[in-house]
Amino acid sequence: MSEYLGIVIFFVLSGAVVSAFILLSSVLGPKKPSAVKSEPFECGEVPFALPMGRVDVKFYLTAILFILFDVELVFLYPWAVAYRGLGVSGLVEMVIFVVILMAGFFYAWDNGALEWS
Amino acid sequence: MTDLLLLLPEIVLVVMALSLIVVARRVERAQSAAIFTVIAAAAAIFAGWAFSGAGPATGFGATISGDGYAQFFNVLFAANLALAALLSVKHLDAEHVRPAEFYALLLLSSTGMMLAAAATDLLVVYLGLELMTLCSYIMVGITRDRSISNEAAIKYFLLASFASALLLYGISLAYGVTGATDFQAIASAASSRGLAGHPLLLVAVALVAVGLAFKIAAVPFHAWAPDAYQGASAPVAAFLAAGSKAAGLAALGRVGLIAFAPEQRVWAGILVGLAALSIAGGSLLALSQSNMKRLLAYSSIAHAGYALLGLVSGTPDGISATMTYSFVYAFMTLGAFGVVIGLGERGEDLAGFRGLAATAPGTAALMLLFLLSLTGIPPTAGFAAKFGVILNAVRSGHLVLAVLAVVCSVVSAFFYLRVAVYMYMTEPQGVAPGRLPAEVSAALAVAAFLTIMGGMFPETFTAWTVPPS
Repeated sequence: MSEYLGIVIFFVLSGAVVSAFILLSSVLGPKKPSAVKSEPFECGEVPFALPMGRVDVKFYLTAILFILFDVELVFLYPWAVAYRGLGVSGLVEMVIFVVILMAGFFYAWDNGALEWS
Repeated sequence: MTDLLLLLPEIVLVVMALSLIVVARRVERAQSAAIFTVIAAAAAIFAGWAFSGAGPATGFGATISGDGYAQFFNVLFAANLALAALLSVKHLDAEHVRPAEFYALLLLSSTGMMLAAAATDLLVVYLGLELMTLCSYIMVGITRDRSISNEAAIKYFLLASFASALLLYGISLAYGVTGATDFQAIASAASSRGLAGHPLLLVAVALVAVGLAFKIAAVPFHAWAPDAYQGASAPVAAFLAAGSKAAGLAALGRVGLIAFAPEQRVWAGILVGLAALSIAGGSLLALSQSNMKRLLAYSSIAHAGYALLGLVSGTPDGISATMTYSFVYAFMTLGAFGVVIGLGERGEDLAGFRGLAATAPGTAALMLLFLLSLTGIPPTAGFAAKFGVILNAVRSGHLVLAVLAVVCSVVSAFFYLRVAVYMYMTEPQGVAPGRLPAEVSAALAVAAFLTIMGGMFPETFTAWTVPPS
């Protein structure tokens, strides 16, 4: 078990540092709340109404396109690690996989999924 | 590389589906995409037949089998794909569905069915069935502007994903007890290491059976079928009724005969319960239906029960009977749906069949043929197939179940032949229906031919119904 001691110390230290920062900034930091500050920051829609309202469908489209490339990465990483062992057949299989994914991406592109208008 | 020969039919379908996806924006008419889909289905049947002995017995780490069982179901799924493609041409143009996407989904869904029938590993079975249902959800809801269609798709999605979760949980428990997902390995681990009767393995058997029972819409896991079939456009309902049921039965047959052979008693007990409930429930619930798609949905539930009669014995003969049954059922239900589709809007309602024999005698005669076959009246294929499965139930000692099946056949005659009474014994209403579209006529001709041939020469099918090895 002794080899895990470092990890335990790491967990304790990182937890202590994070809680110390949060505690210190909430105790010492200046507090001047305003309406603008409590709005969603950077990303997301500004809530004009209750959250039951509609979200632009384009966000879903972007999310789905993200999943396409995310899945591609999930398979490409282990393949890259094991590349030497897999050899040519591994390369061919990966090319087929990417071609199938790209057919889907081409479909989305062709049908205007990338145009944000 | 020779492993790829085992998947040749699937590869043909996937290549065609991807080509359709790439050119999707340039396909305007459903007819051109349908022709390519039919060509792909024919090529898949040919590829499966021409290379039947060329590949190894199993491939991809013994997860895919190329035995006669898989080949039989490949032919069934390819034929189902071709007929569904023909039946949907007019519907897609009328409902403004983009054709290339629809046919690509149809092709990929059929690929999933083929994979599920060829798989000898629980995870590959899951993969195939999931590919099949994922495409089906979209096809059920593909007419986006109809709210009933959206509702059907959401209901189907929620219930079927719940069923998939149960199936996966069963697979994980089976893996936890035996350390394998391969059918042979599960069976040998259960029998050689004294794990047969292990309580967790029995739970796994039950969960896998329930997950697959959802796919074939057996009572009490049938609730999605009537809503999904009614909300979907009729060709999609026909495709699901024939194809997804056969895929579920194919998986049930192989899993039951090989993987869970040591737990045969528990497995058979579950199937007997499902069969009895489905036959009785489907037949009784169909009595009060006046929507044709709902009527055929409840009929498909009852037929799932009849098909299960072949699996309760756990013998190769019984599985052959179930294979014949799912083959025959696919064509008679595609035929009945085909007439409904051919009649258009009026075909969806029972009242639309009033006096059809006077205004469209040919269409009425075809419908009568399919209805007789669904009821199980000789000399149609439905009789021969039903005889086979009930005989199997009797031979394996399930006499009560066999009697129930025969009694419910009589009950089902009431609602099938009520359509016939409407066609032949009531006054025609409104205008006569137009001629059937050429594509629908072609599909109906194939279905009618097989329904008659299967009844006249029932032994023709038995040569091809090879149980899994």
